[in-house]
Amino acid sequence: MKKKNPDRFVSNSLQAKRFGYGMITPTLIVMAIMTAYPLIFTFYYSFTDYNLLQVLKNPAQFIGFGNYIKLLSTSYFRNAIWNTVRFSLLCVVFEMLFGFIMAEFVHRLAKGQKIMRTLLLIPYLLPTVTVALIWRMMLSPNYGIVNQVLSALHLPVYNWFYDIKTAFWMLLVIDIWQSSPFVFLLLYAALQAVPADQYEAARLDGANYFQTLFYVTIPNIKNSLALCALLRTIDSFRLFDKVNLLTGGGPANSTATITQYLYNTGIKVYEFGYASAGAIVMTLIVLVLASIYIKRAMS
Amino acid sequence: MKKLLALVLALVMALSLVACSSSTATQPAANDSKEPTKMTIALRAGAYGDAIKSCLPAFEEANNVKIEAMELSEDDLHSAIALDATNATGSYDFVMADASWMAEFANAGVLADLGSLGYSFDDDIIPATTAACVFDGKTYLAPYGGNVTVLMYNKALVEAAGYKPEDIKNLDDMLKICKASQAAGKKGFIYRGDTNNNLTVDFLSILASFGGWVVDENQKATVNTPEFKEAVEFYLELIATGDAEKKDDLIASVENGAGTMGIGWPGWYKAEFTGCDYTAITGVAHEGDKAYNANVYGIWLIGVPANAPDKDLSVKLLQYLMDKDVQKATIEGGGVPCRYSCLQDAEVLKAHPQFEVVCKALEGGVYRPIMKEWPQMYEIIGSELGNIINGIKTVDAGLADAQAALDDLLK
Repeated sequence: MKKKNPDRFVSNSLQAKRFGYGMITPTLIVMAIMTAYPLIFTFYYSFTDYNLLQVLKNPAQFIGFGNYIKLLSTSYFRNAIWNTVRFSLLCVVFEMLFGFIMAEFVHRLAKGQKIMRTLLLIPYLLPTVTVALIWRMMLSPNYGIVNQVLSALHLPVYNWFYDIKTAFWMLLVIDIWQSSPFVFLLLYAALQAVPADQYEAARLDGANYFQTLFYVTIPNIKNSLALCALLRTIDSFRLFDKVNLLTGGGPANSTATITQYLYNTGIKVYEFGYASAGAIVMTLIVLVLASIYIKRAMS
Repeated sequence: MKKLLALVLALVMALSLVACSSSTATQPAANDSKEPTKMTIALRAGAYGDAIKSCLPAFEEANNVKIEAMELSEDDLHSAIALDATNATGSYDFVMADASWMAEFANAGVLADLGSLGYSFDDDIIPATTAACVFDGKTYLAPYGGNVTVLMYNKALVEAAGYKPEDIKNLDDMLKICKASQAAGKKGFIYRGDTNNNLTVDFLSILASFGGWVVDENQKATVNTPEFKEAVEFYLELIATGDAEKKDDLIASVENGAGTMGIGWPGWYKAEFTGCDYTAITGVAHEGDKAYNANVYGIWLIGVPANAPDKDLSVKLLQYLMDKDVQKATIEGGGVPCRYSCLQDAEVLKAHPQFEVVCKALEGGVYRPIMKEWPQMYEIIGSELGNIINGIKTVDAGLADAQAALDDLLK
């Protein structure tokens, strides 16, 4: 019997380890440059009065929690937090609901699944700028088709993006319209993986649609539901482009989100220290919300 | 096998690095006498930048240069210039800038002193338009696009209200016309409500007509004042006759007769328009009141970044673009020069009668505060105006909050 050489075994194990480290090193370098470095500097700048133009003459000064105190004592920022949280929660709820309904609908189709899948995905495939411009044209108080139809039906018309009663809700509708297909796509894939024999067993046991839904479908796709909710929460929390293109945060800051506020009062005026503090606050809020989902999904 | 794979990956990485570095090393020298010198200029996209672009081919040919024009939105242009200022050698040879950026750019040393580079204003330039170009006695910019707020109106609706454009002598006349239009089922006054900047700027002409302003001569906020309050109360009555729209919708409304009037800019006016026209804002609130300068400048200025690669060439381009004949040639393409010789030329006036109004407005215009805090100021004023307009706050509460926030900002 051939005797194993223990030194060779150790050497192989070491080589395997080295190879593993070698393989992950490029990823770690990219992550360190693209994620860790900006995050650390954002955190650092949040404690300074860093202004892009002023540092050309004077270096940034350490001001402790000055930016955080200023941020949290500003009513416009608190209003932006409230708008963002409200927007995110409503978005996630409605997008999950509509995405799930679409996924269930397509999953149960006997024919035409592919074409329906493609058609339903179109809003998500469109660039946000295009989406914003399409809706801006449709809801224009001058030539928009929506107001024309409402006028023809003798219904009241609105200045959708500049009326404080409608602006926030229109942004919500547009985001739901664009992002529900994303939820649909993930849940549709999850539904395909639910074992057919469980449905068969439920049917034989005489379960109705809702019993099947709550005792078979949802338990099987709960991880996908949690993942969708997490991704949509993070994404809707960062809402910026639609607000910037359609309402600019108005009317009366009713659609101002955290990112829009930071853009206007931080980035646009180069107050990067102040904007960094806002970004850190925003990250913390997202982390808190995300941790709830992650904890639930893990349990 | 693993060793081989690691070796291949390392080789690929090394080759990539070599490829990246060699691409810059083999670039031809910019000052090669046969090759045209490359210049990069940052322009405001739209009619303002188009006017400059139309003049470039002749300059390129005469000076053996190739100019790449970056056309950017107002916000992007502002950011591009500021970000580029942090480089030792800038990417831009020449830039367009808004007058309201002057203070922050001059304070930070972003722009080159044109005087030391051999440029000075000539007598043909409307003197008032140069005020924002000079900071601490140094000339950093030159007035290029004669943009100033004017009253844009629908001709038919003004006539239907029993007025001729020249009869709009004060703000009360505007209100009467708008109310008459509203009674006839049309929108009266349209204002831009899409950003705090636009909300503030559209209001400034009204505010100035009441003798109010956002800061005093010591650059202290003057928002919670009787003049400001009176102006806001009048503005609320005026805008109640119409609604808030985006710029494009505002122009379309006034042109097609859905809306009666709004504060506009000459650059918005197109030769093919038939329904609308514009006139200068008189600066008089009520009949018999004093006339104030109420046409707010939005002049687009041109300058040279302090870190421009070849400042002499940049100034040569600036001098060329400021030439009166070159500027006159831009008029057909939508240019609005700040020069008497262009705006009062008989031939030009025949084709563009509105220039008489523009000239008058440019002579008696008023600049937005030339302060580095102006972007934060209009966010505060616009936010509180929005709160007042939408009934979230009373006029008194909104103005008090704006004053407090501005005091805090400017202390």
